[in-house]
Amino acid sequence: MTILSDVSVTVERAGALTLVGPSGSGKSTLLRCLNRLVEATTGTVRFDGREIRSLDPRDLRRRAALVMQTPVLFEGSVRENLRVRPAGAPGDFSEARLTRTLDEVGLDGGFLDRDAMTLSGGEKQRVTIARALLRDPDALLLDEPTSALDPPNAALVIETISRLRQTRRLSIVAVTHQPELVRHLGGWLLYLVNGRVHAYEPAGGTDAAADPQLRAFLAGQQRADARSPA
Amino acid sequence: MTGTTTVMDLAWWQLLLALLLVGVTIAISIRQNLGLERDLVVGSLRAMTQLYLVGLILAAVFSAARWYWVILILGVMTAVATQAVVSRLRKPLPGAYGIAAVAMSVSTAATLAYVIGVVVRVHPWYEPQYIVPIAGMILGNSMTSAALAGDRLQGELRARADEVEARLALGFSGREAVHPLVRASLQAAMIPVVNGMMTVGLVQLPGMMTGQILAGSSPMTAIRYQIVVVFMLATATAIGSLLFVRLAARRYLTPAHQLRRYLF
Repeated sequence: MTILSDVSVTVERAGALTLVGPSGSGKSTLLRCLNRLVEATTGTVRFDGREIRSLDPRDLRRRAALVMQTPVLFEGSVRENLRVRPAGAPGDFSEARLTRTLDEVGLDGGFLDRDAMTLSGGEKQRVTIARALLRDPDALLLDEPTSALDPPNAALVIETISRLRQTRRLSIVAVTHQPELVRHLGGWLLYLVNGRVHAYEPAGGTDAAADPQLRAFLAGQQRADARSPA
Repeated sequence: MTGTTTVMDLAWWQLLLALLLVGVTIAISIRQNLGLERDLVVGSLRAMTQLYLVGLILAAVFSAARWYWVILILGVMTAVATQAVVSRLRKPLPGAYGIAAVAMSVSTAATLAYVIGVVVRVHPWYEPQYIVPIAGMILGNSMTSAALAGDRLQGELRARADEVEARLALGFSGREAVHPLVRASLQAAMIPVVNGMMTVGLVQLPGMMTGQILAGSSPMTAIRYQIVVVFMLATATAIGSLLFVRLAARRYLTPAHQLRRYLF
């Protein structure tokens, strides 16, 4: 079964690409092809000019960090979660850096001692973003990072992501249903339908989408967002 | 072995009397609407036929006492255990037969060699009276624990796939990413054995000990064998489930540290 075909996109350094489309259109699969959690059967993916099959998948995944829809935290404190890493992996995981990184995602140092299981959904998602940042990634791959959150928390996470893109010059590829995130990220918009590119255009405001079908899709999502309980 | 009593041989008419017990079970099944009558009849017939045939084969092997017959019997037993382990997996796993065969034969061969060659010191090593029942116990336990561990591993993968992918996304190797699931599966497989060690003899006498006592051995001889059996089964269980789960876990991963989600 073919999930994706004829998809060709480029994301610049510090650029943004948003993947939108109906469920089952292949957005998450495309995202996972980028860090090789899913193997593309044909075609090529290049990262920093190199074919990703020539890179060690573990290094690739540290440099192109994935943040999932439902934040996965492990049992233990926030500190332990931030320090989760393969044995012998390099990097600075000092207390000072953990605090600094938490600050980047809008959480204070007091969170380090908190039991990860007791955090709210929004806090968990920000901790997973901080965990990704500690690996000094070049790119963030976001799989519907705000869809499991209530609107105020979603807004905070969206604000965090767009700020990080500026401050860290991160390239961002995001799957989302939320026009709010599209608007904040800017960059390019890829509209996938049934695994094929239906539209690929610069992301303007919600109403500015050139493709009529994409415009209708985004407007529909906007209305769905407005209806969702706060 | 020192016989303290003579063994009473059971005649066929006595077995038929025992069959009346199944009648009671069938009556209960009918009264309570359990719908198990047919299975009980088939099960009883199968139990009698299978055991009768096994008795014939064992009698022949025991009297011939040739190493190649013993090896053949062990091979057949291992094949049946392998098949049983594979059939207990809820979702088929490519290569499961090979994995189960390795787990069953290595765990049994290693444990058996130590018990027969070093502990009990049977001469000749292929003395069927010892090797066949001991191998049967080892295989039976190794089989149950490997099946339990395999089933648990699949369950853990289904429940915790996101957690595994989160670790992979953080740069863990496939082996590191599934390790917590492997550990949980091994614990699930080994806990019954460890619990069994705690209560052995207190609730019910183990089958082998019962058999020896019924066959006329002194209880003190029987418990010595039983102690060996308890340790031997713990080892076989550990090796069998460890090999099966470790090899199976590798099947769920690709060399590029990806999770094969379609397999579970």
